[in-house]
Amino acid sequence: MDATAQTTRILFEQFSPWAINLFYAFGYAAIACFLYGCYVQVRKYRRGQPDASWGQLAARFGDMARTMLTHRTLKRRDHAAGAAHAMIFFSFIALFVGTATITLEVDILKPLFGITFWKGGFYLLFSLVLDLAGLGLIGGLLYMMYRRKWMALPKLDYTRPDRQPGDPDYDRSAYRREDWAFLWTLILIGITGYVLEASRLVWLSGDAGVWDSRFWSPVGALLAHSLMGLGLDASGAGTLRGGLWWFHGLLALSFIALIPFTKVKHIFTASASLMFRDPLAGRRLPKVPETQEAAGYEAITDLTWKNLLHLDACTKCGRCHEACPARTVGTPLSPRDVILSLREFANHALSASSLPDKAELSIHGKGPGQVFMETLWSCRTCLACVEICPVAVEHVPIIVQMRRKLVEEGEMEPILQKTLQTIHKTGNSFGESKRKRGAWTKGLPFPVKDARKEPVETLWFVGDYAAFDPRNQKVTQAFARLLHTAGEDFGLLLDGELNAGNDVRRVGEEGLYEHLASSNIATLEGCEFKRIVTTDPHSFNTIRNEYPEFADPALRGLFQIEHYSTVLLKLIQSGRLTLKKRLSHRVTFHDPCHLGRFNKGYDAPRELLALIGCTLVEMPRNRDNSFCCGAGGGRIWIPDPVGMEKPAQNRMKEAAGLPDIDVFVVACPKDLTMFEDALKTTPGCEGRFVVRELIELIAECVEAADPAPAAPAEAPALA
Amino acid sequence: MKILVAVKQVAALDEDFEIRADGLDVDEDFLLFDLNEWDDYSLEEAMKIKEASNGDVEVVVVSIGPERVDESLRKCLAKGADRALRVWDDAIEGSDSSVMARLLAAVVRKEAPDMVFAGVQSSDHAFAATGIGLAGELGWPHAAVVNALDYAPGARQATLKRELEGGVSQSVTLQCPAVLTIQLGINTPRYASLRGIKQANAKPIDVLGLDDLGVPATTVGVDASLSRVRRMYIPPKGRAQMIEGSPDQQAARLVEIIREFKGA
Ligand code: SF4
Ligand code: SF4
Repeated sequence: MDATAQTTRILFEQFSPWAINLFYAFGYAAIACFLYGCYVQVRKYRRGQPDASWGQLAARFGDMARTMLTHRTLKRRDHAAGAAHAMIFFSFIALFVGTATITLEVDILKPLFGITFWKGGFYLLFSLVLDLAGLGLIGGLLYMMYRRKWMALPKLDYTRPDRQPGDPDYDRSAYRREDWAFLWTLILIGITGYVLEASRLVWLSGDAGVWDSRFWSPVGALLAHSLMGLGLDASGAGTLRGGLWWFHGLLALSFIALIPFTKVKHIFTASASLMFRDPLAGRRLPKVPETQEAAGYEAITDLTWKNLLHLDACTKCGRCHEACPARTVGTPLSPRDVILSLREFANHALSASSLPDKAELSIHGKGPGQVFMETLWSCRTCLACVEICPVAVEHVPIIVQMRRKLVEEGEMEPILQKTLQTIHKTGNSFGESKRKRGAWTKGLPFPVKDARKEPVETLWFVGDYAAFDPRNQKVTQAFARLLHTAGEDFGLLLDGELNAGNDVRRVGEEGLYEHLASSNIATLEGCEFKRIVTTDPHSFNTIRNEYPEFADPALRGLFQIEHYSTVLLKLIQSGRLTLKKRLSHRVTFHDPCHLGRFNKGYDAPRELLALIGCTLVEMPRNRDNSFCCGAGGGRIWIPDPVGMEKPAQNRMKEAAGLPDIDVFVVACPKDLTMFEDALKTTPGCEGRFVVRELIELIAECVEAADPAPAAPAEAPALA
Repeated sequence: MKILVAVKQVAALDEDFEIRADGLDVDEDFLLFDLNEWDDYSLEEAMKIKEASNGDVEVVVVSIGPERVDESLRKCLAKGADRALRVWDDAIEGSDSSVMARLLAAVVRKEAPDMVFAGVQSSDHAFAATGIGLAGELGWPHAAVVNALDYAPGARQATLKRELEGGVSQSVTLQCPAVLTIQLGINTPRYASLRGIKQANAKPIDVLGLDDLGVPATTVGVDASLSRVRRMYIPPKGRAQMIEGSPDQQAARLVEIIREFKGA
């Protein structure tokens, strides 16, 4: 038993004292370098503005740990890369912890307390685990190399859509070099670790205590046998080991020293970013504090420490770059590049011991690291980037904060200026008289209540597009008829309603948003109702997520709002609406950003489609990966550049690629406008299918003359 | 160095408006008020001169009107004007552009600016008379419909272009101080963000009465004006008709119609 009990890791065997001292000197230098780097990073973050995300640290930590252990976010839409990362991640942890415990014993417990545990069965088991971890590490790294070199993934192409060849920021080959240096360093550490182990075994093959337990390090042992087979003897192995030992050791120490200065820092920054994640990011935009003079981000120091941390967390995985509709159609915006530009800017401007002049801190402009105005205005605030980022980078709040500055400076398309002025003047983006907001009700065979004058169960917040756009008015009327048929007690705000402000806020016109939101809130507070309902996902989002912050804390419960899809579903399921007919269309469904990604309303529309008998064929990009129609973030008020594909046209092509679709179903007034238009203007799509609002399909079933003969048996909703 | 910019809050008609009971104007309930479009450009022109200078240019906006006009003046302050003046007295109600010019002239004498800008015209009444009337009251050099301006703060002369009919431009040099009426399109007016407008609430707006200006109440109002509104109405629509038939028949029908109208 004793041989095994004595078995331990051969550490500094036959090293002269000066060599050991030299090694320690390197070790301390590496740690000093690492600590200094951390200090510089933290100093950089502290140069940002405060952020109140410190609450609930334990819950945040738990959430982060869960995300990291499951690799949930890394596996999405790229399972292989996620799995390879998991191999590297867990192996790295095992190897790091293994090495750290050696240090714990040799440098702390043994000299101070005389405790040793790095021996016997524990040691052997650890050898086995670390040996296998090495395999995982190398395997994962090899896949990453393969992926970079041979898969030619567009998301790993670092060239920027907003700059031209020749611009120093254009191709960013430095990033590619850094990636490769990272992969090679790690893989070399792994490989030399194995060779080192093997040569130690050969060198000590005479020592039974070592040799007999060699198969607890199976890879090392196999390699040792191969080396012996190639003619390596004990003394040759000793020499080899001496050289390799230093190479491996110094490489590993350099790696540690360089963590804060290279992409390796994502080990820390990505974890911290996940920990400070805001589940409402982009859904609820940051308020401008009352006391703050200027709105928006002008200088890099206007970013909060949390924003700065997010910048550092980005691993350039390109998932946001791939998902972004603005990037897809070729506008000069890539969310990844906005993050990387700002990160480079921050590293350049905020890492020195003193801050440069205010004038050198502006993040707007055409210089290196600065973000173009055209880039910011290309964003549709569709949240595809935030939603897919595996390390919880929150792009949209930063983009909107930067837009706020542009709005203050008046740096926007004249037509957008006009629209904002119109909204201020008339309360709606159509420039129509307030009095006409309820004009669509004239086409109804029953009167509609004014919720300001009498109590109602359901207060219907209509929204601009549903109220003023002639095509959408038909849908709005249909929904009113459905509510009426179901016997729902509902009312409107009529000319008391203003544009809800969702898109105004996403444009960055925060002052106008505050004005719209507080007027609507005051109107709502004066009404008596149980819940709010809307057909407009944009109004839905801001009333649900943003209004409560602007309301009297006692009245926050007022903003219980539902999108029509859940309302209709309940009315049908409870039998208050009867489907007299089933439609046998083959349909596809477009998830509106503000209903789907923003508020997770993926299922109700699909359940409704099933209830009315439609066969749903999903588009490749569906649910959380839905592709924005291009209207968000105020882009509905800014014409897209001519000659460039519009996001809605891109979407039409996607739908046209599905086999035999009859109807492209939407659940948002802006979608109806955007897609009906895109269908006509996308070559080869017109006539392939029609665009319909889900409400229209349901109304068709509810309002059918007689029940179709076969329907009663099938329709589950029939009372 | 001071530039005075005369601005006006104009009214736009809401859908389905009604004429006031006295038949002289539209009922205020149906009006939407906003800064006159031309004034956005004249203020912008003043701001451009201010921003190109080394900082010693003061831009003062002035408007004549009741309290609601403050909202438009705030917009000007939000765009960067240094001070705002509002002239009002109930006696001013009903004044025409000649009286407005007289009042503005009193403001100019008090403020002693080096340059005065006004819009070419207002979008509601469209007399295009106030700015030029002001120059007349002051006896200052003036130019109307200016669509390009070259003027350094404090200079004794300004060179400018005027837009004439038929696409003709006229280049003019005139002595300063002068009164210029500024045309649309001379520049790109900036946007006043709502936050900017709110923050401008903190900047004071000086209200001047007739006494402050030394203008006797008898020289303002309807009775002191050179013109007055007799009636405001919506002309009947849909009166055009095509006369069919041969030239003879058409002539006969025309004579008939003329007789009908004369008789009525
Ligand atoms: S919000 Fe949408 S459009 Fe904007 S950067 Fe992100 S993915 Fe692109
Ligand atoms: S921001 Fe997130 S999704 Fe985008 S490249 Fe960086 S890590 Fe990937």
